[in-house]
Amino acid sequence: MLNELLLKFATWLDSFQSSTDLHESLYMYGWVESTHVLTLILFLGMLVVIDLRLLGVAFKEVPVSTIVERLDKPMMIGFVVMVISGALLFFAIPIRSTQSIWFRIKVVLLISAGINAFLIRNMTRSSDMSWDNDPVPPTRIRVGAALSLGLWLSVIGVGRSMAYDWWDCHKELPYFMYWAAGCVNEMAAFE
Amino acid sequence: MDLVFIFEWLDTSTLADISKASAGVFAMVQTVHIASMVMLVGMILLGDLRMLNVVLTDVPSETIIKNTGKWIFLALVFIILSGIYEASAIAMKLAHNSFFFAKMAGLSMGIIFILTLRGAVYRRAPGLVYPAGSSEVLPQSEILEPWVVKLVAVTSLCIWLSVAAAGRWIGFS
Repeated sequence: MLNELLLKFATWLDSFQSSTDLHESLYMYGWVESTHVLTLILFLGMLVVIDLRLLGVAFKEVPVSTIVERLDKPMMIGFVVMVISGALLFFAIPIRSTQSIWFRIKVVLLISAGINAFLIRNMTRSSDMSWDNDPVPPTRIRVGAALSLGLWLSVIGVGRSMAYDWWDCHKELPYFMYWAAGCVNEMAAFE
Repeated sequence: MDLVFIFEWLDTSTLADISKASAGVFAMVQTVHIASMVMLVGMILLGDLRMLNVVLTDVPSETIIKNTGKWIFLALVFIILSGIYEASAIAMKLAHNSFFFAKMAGLSMGIIFILTLRGAVYRRAPGLVYPAGSSEVLPQSEILEPWVVKLVAVTSLCIWLSVAAAGRWIGFS
């Protein structure tokens, strides 16, 4: 049911001339993808600095709150442009992306990373910040930071894997994979 | 000078046999390459933006440069190792790819820049970027004009962002 709805949405996006134009453009698609990578560097670069401080392995002499608060703005600027360019990339190739198992895992990982970031923020806010100047923050904060780095590394991995067609719908796959990737027509052929 | 022989040698090496064998491992190495690039350029970006007085202005620039150094070199090691692995799998494609040569030129320039000019200039940054209380006190004659420091920061940003962008365009050409 959800697979059909998602495919319907992707097919609707695909019907726009601008979607085809962007995908087939000589340079524009490449520039959008480059923007995605460059802003990803800004966003993840700042995130890595924050997480390494929360892990207690870098910038130990700088208070945690200074690193977190001061780097929030450049990180969010990178995040916003990264999301916009990512949405454009999806818009250029909507059907294949919707039916990509990698893209689906990526979305799940992105949501998990978001929840994790929210939890870290809540944990920091609810604590008295008596550890602000400690070189190594409390264990629960370090666990959150390690999770964050792991999740984002996985996001990069699955994002990169989207370029490969190993598990695309046109390949011969088990039913479960067709279902997970949302290959609606291939699933129907099974029945 | 024709460099094709290097690519031919790489293409027939044992490393190429390994890297061509599995697309899955290749994708994982690509992930390591991108993650190290995030680490490398992120740390460089932090130092450069600090010198431009954009981020962490209340932290002495000396602290930033000292802390980022180790991670920059760690990331460079991973980038170069994973990069050689990737190059071995598509050596003959790269031999005629102008973006690859642009990237290698930029990368060499960037590494030399970090080891020489960037480090030397950042160590001589003036009070504008070294707030009061900085532990390192330089003789007045060695301190550089702010515009020199900022020019180096902008140059550093340009070099590394073009290396990253050229890397992305290798895949498009």
